[in-house]
Amino acid sequence: MEVHHSLGTSTDWIVMVVYFIAIMVFGAYFSKYNRTTTDFFFGGRRFAWWLIAMSIVATGVGSHSFIKYSAKGFEAGFSSTMTYMNDWFFVPFFIFGWLPIIVYTRIRSIPEYFEKRFSVLTRFLATLLLLFYMIGYVGIGFLTMGKAILPLLPPEFTLFGFHFEITLMGLIVVIALIVGIYITYGGQTAVIFTDLAQGFVLIFAGMLVFVLGLDYLGGFKVFWDLLPTEWKLPLAHFNDPPGFNFVGIFWQDGVAGSVGFLFMNMGLVMRFMACKSVDEGRKAATFNILFMLPISAIVVGNAGWIGKAISIANPSVVPPTTNPDSIFVVVANVITHPGVFGFIMAALTAALMSTVDTLLNATAAVYINDIHRPVKKWLSKKVQTWKEEDKQELLSARIATAIFTFLGVLTVIPFSKFPTVYEAHGYFHSTLTPPLVTAIFLGVFWKRYTNAAVIGTLVGGVALMIMGMYYPRPLIEIFSHGTAYDPNHPYTYIGALYNLFVCALFAVLTTLTTKQQIKLVEKIKQTNHHRLIMSIFVIASIIIFLLIAFNVLSLIVLFILTFIMVGMVVIAANYFIQYNEEEKTDGLTVWSINKAKEYFKGSKLNEREGEKIKVHWKLKEGEDDTIHFSKNDMKRMAAEVGDLVYISDARKYFGGLKSVHTIYGEPHDEDGIVYISKEHFEQGQFVKGKLLTAEKEM
Amino acid sequence: MPSFYNTWLPYIYLYGVGGIFFLSGLVIVKKTGAYNPQNKRHRYWWKVTIFGFFYFMLIHAALILAALYL
Repeated sequence: MEVHHSLGTSTDWIVMVVYFIAIMVFGAYFSKYNRTTTDFFFGGRRFAWWLIAMSIVATGVGSHSFIKYSAKGFEAGFSSTMTYMNDWFFVPFFIFGWLPIIVYTRIRSIPEYFEKRFSVLTRFLATLLLLFYMIGYVGIGFLTMGKAILPLLPPEFTLFGFHFEITLMGLIVVIALIVGIYITYGGQTAVIFTDLAQGFVLIFAGMLVFVLGLDYLGGFKVFWDLLPTEWKLPLAHFNDPPGFNFVGIFWQDGVAGSVGFLFMNMGLVMRFMACKSVDEGRKAATFNILFMLPISAIVVGNAGWIGKAISIANPSVVPPTTNPDSIFVVVANVITHPGVFGFIMAALTAALMSTVDTLLNATAAVYINDIHRPVKKWLSKKVQTWKEEDKQELLSARIATAIFTFLGVLTVIPFSKFPTVYEAHGYFHSTLTPPLVTAIFLGVFWKRYTNAAVIGTLVGGVALMIMGMYYPRPLIEIFSHGTAYDPNHPYTYIGALYNLFVCALFAVLTTLTTKQQIKLVEKIKQTNHHRLIMSIFVIASIIIFLLIAFNVLSLIVLFILTFIMVGMVVIAANYFIQYNEEEKTDGLTVWSINKAKEYFKGSKLNEREGEKIKVHWKLKEGEDDTIHFSKNDMKRMAAEVGDLVYISDARKYFGGLKSVHTIYGEPHDEDGIVYISKEHFEQGQFVKGKLLTAEKEM
Repeated sequence: MPSFYNTWLPYIYLYGVGGIFFLSGLVIVKKTGAYNPQNKRHRYWWKVTIFGFFYFMLIHAALILAALYL
């Protein structure tokens, strides 16, 4: 495989450095809008849909995409677009189900949902799995960044008489240091705004590569005619080769990946939490999937298609043996002039940084909400003021970010053993998403899904998944749809179907046997040694799990033991944890979204449709959390005292940056004027003399 | 000419199996009341979700035909 080094000129390096400084200054400017941990993590639930949609582009596109999709575009053609065009199937579940739930329940992290819906233990298990998932994702981001930048550097250099060899891992450590420093002082508002800027730059840079590539080849017709028919098909071959086939990618990306992306990607979920309302979230999500993802598919994959065409027309310029993970950089270098190449590389690496910093920010949010706060509450009885506590949490968030950055670097080691980033990411996705995806999905859409069942799903699912890794044949082979067995990386993608199946199997079995489990627990409770029996169940379950993890016995014995273990786990869960279905599903499943909305508001809903109005603002005396409109303005907005209201700077290009959510207070008689408190003024950062837009929320 | 395994089989599988997920999503949100046909915005989003399914179906079909015959 051809390995490239020292691509680009000094002009390109100057452009890259200038771009990075510009984007960091841009982000630092917006970090002043972080006043609390809510702002730091969630951007304060205030932004317009277009701002969120564009910021999602940089998160989705930036993430490893240019490298991995160009690699697959080079190897397989237009079917590299598959993963960008298979997300629609779960949109009804998302926009009508999960999105309103995450907004109205005010959850701050996915594990918090698990506690509300199930129990503290479930939250702990979910936190563990989610942190694995997110740190792994950070690792993929670092690996991609390393692979993107490595071809630009010389193989070695000498500094102050010391000789250094540039290795992938060494480079990743340096990148991690830069990313860690940036995110630690930025926060979510800074991330959203840098992502917004980079969303535009990325689309432009990707399209620029396509246009310059077509120009280099002699036009679209030449490009089209050069490509073999197989390269022009939008979907890959059904089940061949094992490294890139349709059916595996459908289950790994279209099902596990789409649900994972929409339901448990904390980076994305936090973006939707930063939207000013559910409706704006729906606009952002649908616009992104319908329009931005297909455009992104071209943007990220076209360098591979151009590379393939050049390798057919002129193999000496782009050899067919070029390392696929380098093809983006190689093609960009061939078709552009010095300076332009630097700009494209800067856009790529800065976008990768966006993805990684979004993930690190989200990981820190999970740490603060699901580890720091519960542990602190448990350990300390010292009462702190809200401001003291917030300051301490911001500091802890920054330290946690640094630690997760380090762990992300460590995960690069196993991922770098895969032939391309695409395969590493595919394997990671198909392995880590299924248990949580199944648990969240059924938690939201199946009322009968109990606490014991979700614990059974996570424990039993993970156990059979581990067995699938040890025994891909025959366990995963049954689901392989004829995909060939690759002994080095067995069933990279279709493994997702097996993993989803085993998690869903335990979910269904343990839910449908709830009555029998409760009867059995009652019987055990009547015995004299019920505590001892339960302790034996727990210890035996741990031992069986360890036997499975270290693959100590034969497949059939481990298989039977898994079912016994899940049986004991659900019995113990029913014994130790009280679960009240009515209480635990109220406002937390798709069946009771209106209840969630009522809880969110704190009073009866007012769903009469009103107008959006423009008003001048004046400061009022007092610090209570209400604002006051005239009686006529209230009538136009169809609002009543106690309803929720959203006010923002009327200049639309701010996209909600200067805005506040609050409550209608008693009306007055001055039409066109709203009285706000000093806190509203500071929180919204409103400008004297500038109009505000006001709209009733509910 | 690429085989059926390379052209229409993935397409049928994508919109057949994916369609089952999509349809069950519509049925569930309707049955649970998460989609409220009385609400104007809900009706709008309902139409958007159905449009989106056929939109992607058409794009993929057009791309396969273009690859095979253009």
